[in-house]
Amino acid sequence: MAKIRADNVKKTFKIKKEGNEFDELPALAGVNLEIDPGEFMVIVGPSGCGKSTFLDLVGGLTHPDEGTIAIDGKPITGPSRDRAIVFQQNALFPWRTTLGNVEFGLESINPDQDERREIALDYLSLVGLSGYHNHYPHQLSGGMKQRVSIARALALNPSIMLMDEPLAALDAQTREFLQRDILRISKESRKTVLFITHSIDEAVFLGDKVAVMSARPGVIKRVVDIPLTAEERASDDVVAATEFVQSRQLLWRLLKEEVVKVEEAQSNIHAEDHSNSLLLDKKTGLINSVRAFARI
Amino acid sequence: MVSDKFVKKLKTFALKSSAIVAFVLLWEAAPHLGLIDPIFIPPPSVIAVKLYQLLLSGELLVHTAASLERVFLGFIIALAIALPLGFLIGGWFKTFETAVDPLLQVLGQANPFTLFPVFMALLGIGELSKIGIIYWVCQWPVLFNTVSGIKSVDPVYIKVGRSMGLTKFNLFKKVLLPAALPAIFTGIRMSAVFAFFMLIGAEMIGAHSGLGFLIIQSQAVFNMPKMYASIVSVALLGIAINYIMIKFERKAMSWKEDIAA
Ligand SMILES: Nc1ncnc2c1ncn2[C@@H]1O[C@H](COP(=O)(O)OP(=O)(O)O)[C@@H](O)[C@H]1O
Ligand SMILES: [Mg+2]
Repeated sequence: MAKIRADNVKKTFKIKKEGNEFDELPALAGVNLEIDPGEFMVIVGPSGCGKSTFLDLVGGLTHPDEGTIAIDGKPITGPSRDRAIVFQQNALFPWRTTLGNVEFGLESINPDQDERREIALDYLSLVGLSGYHNHYPHQLSGGMKQRVSIARALALNPSIMLMDEPLAALDAQTREFLQRDILRISKESRKTVLFITHSIDEAVFLGDKVAVMSARPGVIKRVVDIPLTAEERASDDVVAATEFVQSRQLLWRLLKEEVVKVEEAQSNIHAEDHSNSLLLDKKTGLINSVRAFARI
Repeated sequence: MVSDKFVKKLKTFALKSSAIVAFVLLWEAAPHLGLIDPIFIPPPSVIAVKLYQLLLSGELLVHTAASLERVFLGFIIALAIALPLGFLIGGWFKTFETAVDPLLQVLGQANPFTLFPVFMALLGIGELSKIGIIYWVCQWPVLFNTVSGIKSVDPVYIKVGRSMGLTKFNLFKKVLLPAALPAIFTGIRMSAVFAFFMLIGAEMIGAHSGLGFLIIQSQAVFNMPKMYASIVSVALLGIAINYIMIKFERKAMSWKEDIAA
């Protein structure tokens, strides 16, 4: 178990224009967030607000322009096997079997082939996929693929799991099963989890805490405690519990303000620049994702 | 139901070979009907007999071996140079790529037949210039496909590798290379076909052995059946090489074959 602490983390992307000129795109404008050891932290926020950018920073795949992210007090300098990442979809290597995918990360730390195989098989059965070790990713359903991705990350026995919308592409039913499994596994193995989603229900169901991010450039607008116990979450009608409904409403209100901001910003762009079809495309994309929010 | 399947397969096979059979039959009949002059275009039966004789005498084997040796050498040299170069350009040196890409495109576009005289002037008319020209045509499809294959690897694969703490070398070996392999194989197969085309051309100019030489020599002495027998050998060898390449590709990428099945 490890503690994650982000202090005033800023990140601006430089987008290359013609010649040597750059456009600046501020993605994160000073993120402050603390995640306690063993805590399940969920981040929600409007599409494009910088959630994945933040997760990549915690993963050590990119570096912040300002501020620091520290694990147990030690600033992150790069990727580490102690922080495993699960991506949204299609991140399995299609040329490896299920077993080969789960063994992937182990190959650089454990030279014993039989041991690796055993560990990988264990994690496959933990995610409910025993018997599928010789299948290739294209032979699996979307939900099974994500189970393999989770097993691949767990196999490294990291103390921190970083999950970037791992269930976003799945149908509602598959999603619910996986949510329950993720909750069970994370608590049993006492991982510290940073989980990104755009579904409020998912956030309330999984999170000990839910951090709401502002519209881009992202900051953490508020961290909401979810007062549900493990037993309450395990129950079939947890969605009807008063705590669930109230958390949901609070998060919805907080998010709506940000979504409106995105819409306003977009209509300003609209007024300023009629001719730039690229921007307009981006705008419809954003507004559609805003609408998707409204439906959740 | 096995017999049902078998009958179906047989029917497909019959349908697929019907045009070829019809063509051969027409060709066989044409000289007898006075449609073509058998002196210039002998019927398939005559060619087949000639092919059999060439095979028995060992002549065909000697020339085929000479041809294959040239293709093989040129092809191997091309792989040895173009593969590493492609990895370097596609994987590491972005600026270098921007600088050399236009030059490579121009060189790759140059019609290799027009470069024959250049190769002969530089390397003489012996083996060296033939192997040289085969190397030249082989390297471009391998190089271009390798570069684009490496460059179009899904960034998420690289992220996974990096997040698991892979060294640069392992990232290349375990992520970039297997992800780019389908594109690389396309390049290799294309270059095998080009190599074969080019070889026959090269052997038609100043060679003393090889299938291309056999064609030209038979034509010079007006031995038409022998000329056609050589042409058919070239075609069969081409088909065989393509078949071997496809088998090899399937074996190397069995994970992909299932997708089609
Ligand atoms: N590598 C990058 N280069 C340039 N812009 C980027 C890059 N990655 C993300 N962005 C931009 O930064 C913003 C935040 O992106 P992201 O963190 O992926 O959002 P989210 O995950 O919240 O949907 C978006 O506007 C996105 O277009
Ligand atoms: Mg994202």
